[in-house]
Amino acid sequence: MKVTSKIWLVLLGLLMVTLLVAAACGDDDEEVAAPEVLAPFRIGIMESVTGPGETYGVAGVQAKVMAVDEINAAGGINGRMLEVIVEDSKCNAADGITAYTKLTQVDGVKIILGPSCSGAMLGVAPLAERDKVIMFSGMTSNPDITLAGDFIFRTMTSDVFIGEDMGNLLWFDGIRNLATISETTDYAEGLRREIARKFKELGGQIVGEERYPSDVTDFRSQITKLIGLNPDAIYVGSQSEFTGGTVIKQARELGYEGPMYTDVTGSGPVAQEIGGDAATGVKVINRGLDPNNPVANAFLANFKERYGYLSVIFEMTSTYDDIHITAECLRQTDDDQDSEGFRDCLYGLTFTGALGTYSFDEFGDPVGITNIVLEILPLAQRTEDNLGYKVSVVPAAQ
Amino acid sequence: MLRNLQVYSTLTQPFRDPWGFLKERSRNPELWINLVVIGGAVLFLLSKGTGFAITVGTVFAIWAILAVSLNLVVGFTGLMSVAHIGFFGVGAYSMAILTSDPLYEQLRSETIPTFALPFFAALPVSMVMAGLVAVAMGSILNRFRDDIFVLVSFGFAIISFNVFLNWRELTRGAFGIHAIARPAIGGWEADGKLEFLLVALVFLGIVMLITWFIVSSSFGRVLTAIREDEQAIQVYGYRAAHYKMAVWVLSAMLAGLAGGLFASWTSFIDPNSFILLESILMVAIVILGGLATIWGSLLGALVFVLLEEGMRFVPFIPTEHIGQGRQIVLGILLVLLMLFRPQGLVGRYKL
Repeated sequence: MKVTSKIWLVLLGLLMVTLLVAAACGDDDEEVAAPEVLAPFRIGIMESVTGPGETYGVAGVQAKVMAVDEINAAGGINGRMLEVIVEDSKCNAADGITAYTKLTQVDGVKIILGPSCSGAMLGVAPLAERDKVIMFSGMTSNPDITLAGDFIFRTMTSDVFIGEDMGNLLWFDGIRNLATISETTDYAEGLRREIARKFKELGGQIVGEERYPSDVTDFRSQITKLIGLNPDAIYVGSQSEFTGGTVIKQARELGYEGPMYTDVTGSGPVAQEIGGDAATGVKVINRGLDPNNPVANAFLANFKERYGYLSVIFEMTSTYDDIHITAECLRQTDDDQDSEGFRDCLYGLTFTGALGTYSFDEFGDPVGITNIVLEILPLAQRTEDNLGYKVSVVPAAQ
Repeated sequence: MLRNLQVYSTLTQPFRDPWGFLKERSRNPELWINLVVIGGAVLFLLSKGTGFAITVGTVFAIWAILAVSLNLVVGFTGLMSVAHIGFFGVGAYSMAILTSDPLYEQLRSETIPTFALPFFAALPVSMVMAGLVAVAMGSILNRFRDDIFVLVSFGFAIISFNVFLNWRELTRGAFGIHAIARPAIGGWEADGKLEFLLVALVFLGIVMLITWFIVSSSFGRVLTAIREDEQAIQVYGYRAAHYKMAVWVLSAMLAGLAGGLFASWTSFIDPNSFILLESILMVAIVILGGLATIWGSLLGALVFVLLEEGMRFVPFIPTEHIGQGRQIVLGILLVLLMLFRPQGLVGRYKL
């Protein structure tokens, strides 16, 4: 007992010494690198690299790293390289806060791009406001973030607009009785709420509401219940492509033949693969990418080449644009610690990038991104070019 | 009364006889391991910047309160429970609902009742709510033992998560609750990070004292006896069920306290913070530190938080795989620790 304790003590001591030495070495590296070239601009990246938001969080980091590589390969910003520090904010407020503190306190960054999840953003926003740190997200769509603060920006439109357009589309398609099945997450639930509000405002009726937690894979009993209510259409509000695709598939297997609507995750490439032919005809309102935008097409092609897949297209493109917008503003302020200058730059900026041409309103939300209707094509017609969608414009307000 | 005198005399020993106290303690390896690890940890974090050290310190304090309170049940009484996250969540949600700013809630379309109480008024309610839930759960759990007990507590952890997620009229479901109050007395508000850390550490100290008082009293000895042989202690006329219930509720109340602190610290909570995995991590911390030692739980929480946050500084993982890489390293480190110290860092008992 005594002897093992002592060995243990020594081991722990060694561990601590190693950590301290490692910490000290880390500092040395920077000192050596500094005199040779101009110090790089340093910004933080926070995405949900592990946990429930992993699929889009990883895609976001990859898109951003790609954009950074492009900028640095082209000579950097005002002759200085762009350096990013990636942190994992998972998909919740607590991990968002520790990631935020590490980035701001240890790395001393004033500009953070991310996070992927609205929950993490809402947890971090009050701190960022207090510390005057820019939080600039490409993926968070929760309506609450609009009012989160002066230093909070995003290139993702609020779900309010998707909800409005989906309500209009449903009404335009002659749907009067709607049944919904949605995942109990802030995104899926928030979107469902916005759609239901608009749809009811137009005079429609929600005849059935079902909810499922994220880890469920069998939705048959819930779908059967909804089919029994005889709705004109079913809306599938999912958080992940897996659940969205599975709900759609199981609904068709249970013999439901009416129209189905979903959100962007329920129609992605993975969802299309799971759904197979069952996904044909499912309609989605999404933030639109111009199919003729050369920047977007080049980005998507390069991403496919570098990482071998494409996932949530709009979100990936949005995070890619964030880095280029950041580069643009750093070019103007020439100081990665000047968060107020950066903020003012964003408010005054009109940017043309992969998402099109847009600017930011007084809440830090993007203006100029329009929605489109996507309809999933029959299995045989889905190609890599059309990504399985038939694109059309959103019907006018009803 | 006599037994309490003994506790008091131990408590006051460092003041009456500091030299003898030090001499006695210097032979205790637990103390030294703690000092080395804590000292190294603080130095390491301070080398990374005080702000980060303060945040990690706060995370540590909250985890440590949870671990110490869970050790009462798992370590000292031998009841393997993974339901602790439920009490943590009840405490957090009580704090959130009671102190959330109503002005903020008016901006939202899905409103819940808000009371705008101050932090220190809401904290006792958080504890009482967690205690009440524990009474209800305990009355069922008390019928089970060993493996079945674990399974039933597992069920409760899942139920509690689903209640947080689906009782939307009270918890706003997946949207979570914003604008939770910070501790404030009079004009002083712990809105800075350092102040909050101090508040959390004070609470940790109180919790450790309470726990220490419990386990060194005769009540604590009955708990230990229950762990060793429940039937034997019943032969001596002790109602084991009552003792188990009492420690269960006490432990839950302390977890509720941790929950209240947590909600106030993040100022935003949603059900994602109260998943079953967190409960298993808590048990892992208790086992890692050592069953039935308060210092062990403290050390376990420290090592765990340090491993997790220290992983942020592992240099060799490529940027795009940083999260996954860290989790793998963390997993391997935990496995190694368990392989070479199955009784925990400073513990004496195995599971």
